[in-house]
Amino acid sequence: MAQIKNNIKVLRAEKGMTQEELAEKVNVTRQTIIAIEKNKYVPSLELAYNISLFFKKKIEEVFEYL
Amino acid sequence: MSYKNFKIARLLITFFLAMTVSIAVSTENVLLAVSAIGIGMILMFLVKKNVKAVLVDEMIKNIAGKSALITYSITVPVLAVLSLIFMFSNLGNEGSYLYNLGIIFSYIALFNMAVYSIAYHYYQKKYGSDKE
Repeated sequence: MAQIKNNIKVLRAEKGMTQEELAEKVNVTRQTIIAIEKNKYVPSLELAYNISLFFKKKIEEVFEYL
Repeated sequence: MSYKNFKIARLLITFFLAMTVSIAVSTENVLLAVSAIGIGMILMFLVKKNVKAVLVDEMIKNIAGKSALITYSITVPVLAVLSLIFMFSNLGNEGSYLYNLGIIFSYIALFNMAVYSIAYHYYQKKYGSDKE
């Protein structure tokens, strides 16, 4: 089954941010960030763009379709 | 207000409601129960208004939607089957407690189906329409 994976955890670590701080920046709850990082929840296109914009990366650099 | 403070405030309001309503029930004071619920709702509204943290986001809405669908899929058939059992097992005894309960259950099931149908068509029109 196809899956969407991401490297938010790595990018977040590079910035030295906590999950709570990232959640605050992209206007979601910490639980959502946890679920996305664990690949348990696939974010909407809008949230995926917001996260990518926050890290100043292209969406395909943050999210990967396997 | 931070999310942590919001959780504490919510807990306190729940405790206040539980205490007041239980006192109202034991003293058979309807006015106290109604006013306690009213105050609780106002307090909750004020607390939610002052929270800066995000309380509801797309994942929570997604989970709520799935939970609502499962609840609907279980509740309506159970109510419908129970209403049929209660009504058909009391066919010669119309007006009995169980027969009336069966009628109430069937109306609740129909009401649920009507609300679901209206909500479904509303959202289908909102998201599925080709009008811009």
